[in-house]
Amino acid sequence: MSDSIPSSANGRGAALVIGAGIAGIQAALDIADAGFKVYLVERSPSIGGRMSQLDKTFPTLDCSSCILTPKMADVPRNPNITLLTCTQVEAVEGQAGAFHVTLERQPRFVDESVCTGCGLCTDVCPVITPNIFNAALDSHKAIYRVFPQAVPAAFVIDKRPSPCKITCPAHIPVQGYIALIAQGKFREALQRVREAGVPFVGTLGRVCYHPCESECKRADWDEAVSICALKRIAYDAGRDDEKPQPVPIQYEEHVAVVGAGPAGLTTACNLTRRGYKVTVFDALPSPGGMLAAGIPEYRLPREVLNDEIDYVLAQGVELKLNTPIGRDGGPSLEDLRRDHQAVFLAIGAHGSSRLGVPGEDLPEVFQAVPFLRHMNMGHEANIGKHVAVIGGGNSAIDAARCALRLGAEVQLVYRRSRAEMPAAPWEVSAAEQEGVKLTFLSAPLRVIEKDGHAAGIECIRMKLGEPDSSGRRRPVPVDGTEYVMDVDTIIAAIGQNVESDGLGVETKWGQFVVDPLTLETSAKGVFAGGDAVIGPASVVEAIGAGLQAAESIHRYLRGMDLRDGRSQDHPKSKDIQISPAEAVKRAPREHMPELPVAERINNFREVELGLTAEQAMAEAQRCLSCAVCSECNQCVTACQRGAIVPEDAPRRIEVDVGAIVVATGFDVFDPRRKPEFGYGKYPQVITSLEFERLASASGPTAGRISLNGHPPNKVTFIHCVGSRDRSLNLPNCSRVCCMAVAKQAHLAHDRLPGAQITVFYMDVRAFGKGFEEFYDRVRKEGILYRRGNPSEIVRRGDHLFVRAEDTLLGEPVEVESDLIVLAAGLTPRADASGLAQILHLVQGTDGYFQEAHPKLRTVESSVPGMYLAGCCQGPKDIPDTVAQAKAAASAAMILLNGKGANHASN
Amino acid sequence: MLQIESRQFAVERGLFACIQCGKCTGGCPMAMKTRLNPRDLIYRVLVSGNGFNLEGREELWDCTTCLTCYSRCPKQVNPMEAILAMRGAIVEKGKIHPNVKTALESTFRNGNPLKMPRSDRAEWAKELQLKAFPDGGAEYLFYIGCTPSYDPRGQKVARALVRVLGSAGLDFGILGNDENCCASEVRRLGEAGLFEAMVEENTAAFTELGVEKMFTVSPHCFNVFKNDYQKLEVGAKFSAQVQHYTQVLADLTRDGRLKFNGSFEQKVTYHDPCYLGRHNGIFDEPRAILQGIPGLELIEMDRSREKSLCCEGGGGRMFLEGTNPGTRLAQQRVQEALDSGATILATACPFCLLTLEEAVKHLNAEEKLRVLDIAEIAERAL
Repeated sequence: MSDSIPSSANGRGAALVIGAGIAGIQAALDIADAGFKVYLVERSPSIGGRMSQLDKTFPTLDCSSCILTPKMADVPRNPNITLLTCTQVEAVEGQAGAFHVTLERQPRFVDESVCTGCGLCTDVCPVITPNIFNAALDSHKAIYRVFPQAVPAAFVIDKRPSPCKITCPAHIPVQGYIALIAQGKFREALQRVREAGVPFVGTLGRVCYHPCESECKRADWDEAVSICALKRIAYDAGRDDEKPQPVPIQYEEHVAVVGAGPAGLTTACNLTRRGYKVTVFDALPSPGGMLAAGIPEYRLPREVLNDEIDYVLAQGVELKLNTPIGRDGGPSLEDLRRDHQAVFLAIGAHGSSRLGVPGEDLPEVFQAVPFLRHMNMGHEANIGKHVAVIGGGNSAIDAARCALRLGAEVQLVYRRSRAEMPAAPWEVSAAEQEGVKLTFLSAPLRVIEKDGHAAGIECIRMKLGEPDSSGRRRPVPVDGTEYVMDVDTIIAAIGQNVESDGLGVETKWGQFVVDPLTLETSAKGVFAGGDAVIGPASVVEAIGAGLQAAESIHRYLRGMDLRDGRSQDHPKSKDIQISPAEAVKRAPREHMPELPVAERINNFREVELGLTAEQAMAEAQRCLSCAVCSECNQCVTACQRGAIVPEDAPRRIEVDVGAIVVATGFDVFDPRRKPEFGYGKYPQVITSLEFERLASASGPTAGRISLNGHPPNKVTFIHCVGSRDRSLNLPNCSRVCCMAVAKQAHLAHDRLPGAQITVFYMDVRAFGKGFEEFYDRVRKEGILYRRGNPSEIVRRGDHLFVRAEDTLLGEPVEVESDLIVLAAGLTPRADASGLAQILHLVQGTDGYFQEAHPKLRTVESSVPGMYLAGCCQGPKDIPDTVAQAKAAASAAMILLNGKGANHASN
Repeated sequence: MLQIESRQFAVERGLFACIQCGKCTGGCPMAMKTRLNPRDLIYRVLVSGNGFNLEGREELWDCTTCLTCYSRCPKQVNPMEAILAMRGAIVEKGKIHPNVKTALESTFRNGNPLKMPRSDRAEWAKELQLKAFPDGGAEYLFYIGCTPSYDPRGQKVARALVRVLGSAGLDFGILGNDENCCASEVRRLGEAGLFEAMVEENTAAFTELGVEKMFTVSPHCFNVFKNDYQKLEVGAKFSAQVQHYTQVLADLTRDGRLKFNGSFEQKVTYHDPCYLGRHNGIFDEPRAILQGIPGLELIEMDRSREKSLCCEGGGGRMFLEGTNPGTRLAQQRVQEALDSGATILATACPFCLLTLEEAVKHLNAEEKLRVLDIAEIAERAL
């Protein structure tokens, strides 16, 4: 659909119709046929409303779809109607004759003007989700068409937020690669993560601290999905030896990246892909930053890391090693800025905090970061046989496990307790398994010197005091508890800092000060991110910063707004509600195989061995698809017309209209509010709307009334569920249920030969044209009407019993039933008060929109120029709805013709 | 003749709102086994002109006051209260069953309907050295109630609860022999005069003692303090915040003050007492306690929460057999618990405990099912 929408037709004025059920469709067609422009706004992806869900209409037993679809088809054919689906009203200003309306169109992710509705997309889509149109009695794919006769016929993607993607600092489309793994498509899974701008897939799959797993909704059922291990297999099983080709350079600007760690290389990778020339500088002799210098080989094999770095470089990234910037004789930041149009500082946090105790400069006292770097760069490490590691972070654990592998006896000394350790708990327990001894609540006082060498360390016991600024309880020394540890080597791992001197960019505690959204520093064209900004953190946070920086630098170089459309506000994962398509069967996580302890402690072989392909597919199938669309992009590949628009975003549309018709319809009462009927608990208890879908030829059972494949034999209908009920504050009669039940009882009789059909009623309201005659006909078919409204449904064994008093017998009765249909009442839309606020409409005490006069102005609302049609004003059947819609259209046209201004402003 | 002025009676109680749908009777557990038909009763009051004769209406004493009728009524008519008012009219004329008379007289004289002396009320706690309220300024008054004070089975529950509360460090005191019956059953038996007198007496006592927070063992005591006292002019000053002990335990569990270091490795099903569930909407707290106990597997019966089946112990039915003493509802309930596969039937009401335990014996099911109060299960898992 085009972005530009004409504001009026023939200069004769325009109307807005909100809601495209039968009321909205009828009003729009009438107004448009009279020559006025109509904007028909519908929030769902198709027009048709509730009527399209019905099987037959009472009392004439017309096929609902058959009489509705010609009208639906007239809508796009009418040149005066602009149909806006997936659209809601955001704001209305002005008055009768001159309303200014702001609409918001939610993304459809499919271009309506290109999609032919062929369905290739839906065939490849790996995600299934409950089919709401079919009252969730079956399911459809994440890319779907609401129903075969939908207007517009284009498909739509159901895309929602998922906790894993929101939580991931790099916002990796987790569900996407998991959906692909579930189908065994490992290569596509790896490709999907790389497409999202993340080059370090095998690396993250090994070393990520996976905050996504802590938020995984699957844990509400059993355990979180093993997301990290799945990312690893996407790489391990999906990789091939083919290297990407260099990307042609499109732009003349040249970007400098300082630091070849995960942040710097991610930025370089993404800017190169966008067509920039990028040079990465690093002070070390090999690339990878902390990935290479800090993480030991047993956690991250170098072959994996190097392969992923090669993947980045192969795209055309230039790498200059042994080139520190702003120190040690290297070029200055100013030099870089002269030759490059943008600079990204991603220098990491490679400095070390000192212990601050006497003796720490002795030769046997090491700092963890240089110690690990030394070893990781392939040098011999000369440590003794008894090593004390001071600290409780990940570097402390890495240093301890490395020292252990060099044959030393290792004790780790931490000043707080286990609960406060910043290291990942699974790393801590791995260290313990391997034989590292942990000493908590202990801190070094001095390194004991003997002949110029370290000969032990004196420590003191600590206790936990009040919480400090970090919220952790502050350790306090306990007087008189000093003791000596007999060690010959000390590795300090108590903190890292950023070596940011000499660059001339504003810092705070050594870390670069940046705008958190854009990563701009105090120097123009200079951006910074990763550990250098937030202090020693994680690989995935560095990658996230790299992605952020690439976007900012591109915008900066292209003269675009750096902030537009970017936000760090995401829905909270606790607010995300999910309804899995199928009942979740409990299944524990697949277990990650590991090298036995005995086989790992004297070498640097990788400890975690990875899931098997079968394990991975089983694990991936545990994903609950919170986001519905997994963003696997299989539909993009499958669509031959290029109709899929993954980047589709919400869009504002402004229109000027003279009159507004409100036709937003109704909701169906949720019978869970009457727990005595066990709806939601007993599968045999359904609502009348669900019965319509079961009876419909286009429904989930193709019109066969059956539950789990079995036609029911004893069908019971219950009147007035969620209507005429003051205990629920729903005092009004729903007006259509008596006849809907009569019709459904007839359908049940017609489709289920020999079935015993009982209708429990209080009184039967057959007030419309032909209604009483229909009620007579239905009874004569042999349907038993019993007076008395049931009190409850109970289960004994496998059988359900409706318990009621037959008030004509004056006796309590129990009627065994294998299908029970609750005539669930009509209620105002759950969000009716929201729309009432936007439009300034008045709601009655029943919650429906209030007409201006109950007898004489039945289609005018409380606001001049706004008219009501259909069930938004109160429950009514189809003929009454159509009549009211035509009346509302007529009232709107009188106003548009300039004749109704006086009347309207009364 | 034992007549009520039925027109005024019906207008005052909103009975003309009745649409004769029969939901009250369709759900009434006693309607299936006795002559009691709440809808029919209301209709007969409505059509009786101005005099409705209560003579011979023995079924009025069948009502267990389980409140299913009111909870199902779409028009907010309360048949249970109408029945209590009719009982009141009968009691006023003195035409009552000897058992009812005995219970009422004992309550008046001894402060309990069980014909037990006042001086024995605190016997159950004589070895526990509990704080006397309000000496020392206890935070809570622990109101024991008659059955837990005197009945040997009830006493076990009270003592278990004391140990559970003690382990959580809750600060409470008891009234000892000064504790008086809450008068809940007096009201259910229709003795409005005695009820009013006792509300006045108890309200004055609680006000003088400065009771701000209190909890009870029995949902019946809890309900009458929480919902009925302040409705009377003489109880208007009753201001204590009343909780059932399951609410207190659920709070203590949530706050981490009550910890279960042991376990209770059993399949447990929970029977919602009418006066806790339907009358007061407390369904989640008892379950929260049970689910917090290590090893315990909670199974739900089909009839749970709002649909719980009355044990037939309420509404004065502890003192009366009713018009059909045949199969008691408690026996049906125990059968449901057995069918659920549970080995423990948990509840949180002294009446339910006694009636259900009796039913287990009657069905010879002692080998398969034990009835325990939640307080007892909690104590076993400390």
